[in-house]
Formats: sequence, structure tokens, C-alpha cells
Amino acid sequence: MAAADSPSTALRRRDLCSRGIRLAGKMRADVVDLLDAYVEQQGLDASASVAAVEGVPLAAVERWDEQTGTQRLLENLAAYRAFRALLAQMLEEQREQLGEADEGLGRALAAVLLQVSAFAYHLEELLRLESRGVPGEEGDGPPPPPRLSLFEQKLRGLGVLRELAQWAVRSVRDLRQLTKPSPATGAAPSLAESP
Amino acid sequence: DSHVQYERVGADVTMKCGSMDWDAAVTWTANGTDIDESHLNGSYLILKNVDLSQSGQYSCYEGSSWHLKYQTYLRVGTPPKEPVLMCRSNNYPKGFYCSWHLPTPTYIPNTFNISVIHGTKDMVCEKDAVPKNRCHIRYLQLFSTVKYKVTLTVTNALGKNFTTLTFDEFAIVKPDPPESVVAKPVPNNPRRLEVSWQNPSSWPDPESFPLKFFLRYRPLILDQWQHVELSDGTSHTITDAYAGKEYIIQVAAKDNDIGTWSDWSVAVHATPWTEEPKHLTTEAQITETTSASTSSFMAPPTTKICDKGAVVGSGAMAVCWTAGLVVAAYSVLFI
Repeated sequence: MAAADSPSTALRRRDLCSRGIRLAGKMRADVVDLLDAYVEQQGLDASASVAAVEGVPLAAVERWDEQTGTQRLLENLAAYRAFRALLAQMLEEQREQLGEADEGLGRALAAVLLQVSAFAYHLEELLRLESRGVPGEEGDGPPPPPRLSLFEQKLRGLGVLRELAQWAVRSVRDLRQLTKPSPATGAAPSLAESP
Repeated sequence: DSHVQYERVGADVTMKCGSMDWDAAVTWTANGTDIDESHLNGSYLILKNVDLSQSGQYSCYEGSSWHLKYQTYLRVGTPPKEPVLMCRSNNYPKGFYCSWHLPTPTYIPNTFNISVIHGTKDMVCEKDAVPKNRCHIRYLQLFSTVKYKVTLTVTNALGKNFTTLTFDEFAIVKPDPPESVVAKPVPNNPRRLEVSWQNPSSWPDPESFPLKFFLRYRPLILDQWQHVELSDGTSHTITDAYAGKEYIIQVAAKDNDIGTWSDWSVAVHATPWTEEPKHLTTEAQITETTSASTSSFMAPPTTKICDKGAVVGSGAMAVCWTAGLVVAAYSVLFI
């Protein structure tokens, strides 16, 4: 059972969560704009259904309200690390396809990649605050997927951005849950406890 | 034997008198009233181009014995048009509800069947007792990008129709309007109104899923609304109201991150604080009063020192009263 929070820890957590909420909110807005630009630039149908792509972390979760704080942080961290790799891959593919032809989209992708990296770091800070070991990243991640056709790349990109937009909303909710006072003690919950 | 027969508006209906031969002598009645023989073809009853008013109980009696040979309840109606379906989450993240209705009545009983699919998973939409044309679903998953597909089929004896809605989890989130909207004047502030409200009671967890609000207000005499968006809190002070004008005020709510704005709340009315009317006393009026032959009571004029806005404390009342006496005495001298 985790020790009760010291006032300074609780304050620091609250501060990190507030800033994280703002980061995630800004990230979501930028991802939504990027999605619109991506759909247009890639000639896709915005309403197209994209099957779940291997390697793209799904934001969908059951019994979300029953998750502990630690679970929330770990799942968020794993997701954003995966998105960091996926977005880097998309950026590379974008440059291969178009070279410098569409700098706007490339810049927007790079900006979102930066925010994703920053948010992942933010999550690591929150985990360190709880004296939880930050899970190491698995080498360079999973082995690179087989080379996709151009169309398949575009669809996967659509799936990545959609799922990232969803994660950004979920992250805001997760961080808000972390700042809620524990019903038993009235203090912010220790992350090991069920919220 | 008796049964129900459904027919479309405008149809031609032929009713047989049970197992009676075509050439048997029979009498038909509609809701107890004899039907003229001109509608008969032998023992068959012919109703051409039926309309709604011809719904009712039709009975056939053997000619001489008046034995009841056949009875049917004719229900004239129409097959259903495409139903109107709406789905909404006003209690996110608990679930959502769907409600439906027919754009035009069919005048005969209809059965509604609703199916909800999330990806490949069938979900059960539990029918509400009240209202009857509504069902609700609990979310099993949150933050899913997979769309929900809701199909509503309406069937009656004359046909069927259906409609389908496809949407994602966030798109249908729409809270109920804010509740208990109250607007009050602010004492000693002729241009302010204090407005407060509460989260809609149907919104289950405003702490984790906070709402933001949109306030609109205008004086009754103008058509143009002023708008204010508020990202937190359930109160706001309007500081630019026109003095003395009655205002109409409404508030709407939206989840901070997803979905659409609620409908506007019930409207409340309020008028900013105004100073009590002063009796206007000019030099000319005093002169007129002194030359008047009739004596009429003249209320003591208020003076600067009695201005409510200007003085505070219990001493102010005594000063005002004293000033009033002095001026009244002064006035009497000149009547």
C-alpha cells in the first residue's frame, strides 16, 4: 500500500496534472487541424472507416472509471511513446513521397510529434513523482512493419491521427481523475489506490 | 368469428360474409348502422377508396334469421414512412439514449425495433417505460473511434420502413440546459446583474467531466444578444447592462472537450438596481408653488445628503430625515 501523499507531492502532482491537461488540450486541437489537412492533402474521405492497425495504440478502454492512477499513467505513457515512433515514421514517409513539396503538412506533423514527445516526458515526470520506476523503452520498439503501399500508408496515417486525437481527450480525462480528492481521505489519491 | 382487418387509405375493400354463398341474402352493418344495399355485390360488401372515417366494426347477418355470420374490425391506415431517429448523450460518460417518432401517423398500431451495433458487437438498447419511444444504452467502452450504428425499423400490418444513424461517441454528447438560472440586481450598481446557475442534474460527474457555459443577455427592448463564454464557474456578473432596463438572460452548457452545446436554459428576467425616484425640485417649481392658492402636500425633496449611494452607516438615515423636516418646514412657510 502506498504511503499517503506529502503536501508538497500533492501540490506538485496537481501542478503537473494541470499543465498536462493544458498540453493535452492544445495537442488535441493541433491534431484535429492536422487531421483535416492530412485528409485533404492525401485525397482521403474523412468519413472512411479505418480498420485497427497493428501497432497503433487504441484509446478505447472498458471500465475506464475503475482504473487506478498508476494504470492511467502507464497506459498513457505506452501510448504516447508508440505515437512518437509512428509519427516519426509518418514524417519520414511524407518526406519520401513529397520531398519538400508539402512543407505545411510536414511542419504540422513535426509540431505534433514535438508535443507528443513533450507529453510523454510529462507523464514520465508524474510517474517519477510517485516513486514509480519509469518503464524503459523496448530498444527501438517493435520491428518495422512490412513496407506498405502508398494508399495503405495514407490509411494508416489517418488511423494514427484519429487515434491520437482520441487519446488526447482521454489523457485530459485521465489527468483530471488524478487530481480528484480521494473519497476516503479527502486528499488527492495515491496512484496505487483505486480512484 | 371476429377479427381485425387492416387496409390502406384509398384501397378498395371487399368483405365476404364468412362462409355464406355469394347469392345469400344478408344485411351488413357498420358500427350498428345498416349499410345501404348499393354497397353490396351479392352478399359481399364493397367499399371503394376507403378513408379513415370508415374504420369501425362491420357485421354481417343472415337475411331472415338475423344470425350474426361474420364480424370484423376494419382499421384503415397507412404503411409507415421513414421514422425520425435521434440519439444523444446527455449523461456522458454513462451512456446515451435514442428516441424516435413517425413523421406522419399511420392510424394503426406500429411496432418499433431498434438495433445498435458497435463495430462487430451487438448492444442492447433498453426500452424506457416513459416515454415509450425511447431506449438507452450504457457505454461499455469509452474513447473508442469505432462508430455506433443504430437502425430503427418500424412495422405495421400494411408495411415497414427503417432508418439508420451512424455516429461516434463524442459527436452525440449534448448536455441538458443549465438549471436554476437566477439573475439579480446588484445593490448600488445600476449597470450590473448577477447571474448564477447550476449544472444540469442529468450530468453525472461534472468534476471529472466539467462543463463550460455560454451566457446570452439582452434588454427586452432590443433584438441583439450579447454573448459571454465561460470556461468555469457557475456564475457571472454582467457589467454593461443599460440602467433601468429589463433584461432577458439565458445560459447553455457544453462538455469542456467534446460534443455540442445544450439548448438554451429557461429564460430569466431581471432589471439592474436603480436609485429611488427623486422628486425634481427646481427654482421655477418652488416659485409656482408659493403663488398657488390651494395648499397641496408637497413631499419633502430628497437632497444630496440623502443619496443612498453616497452615504453609508446608520447616521445617514437620521441626516436624511432631518433634512426632510427642514425642507418641509421651509415649504410650508411659502404656501
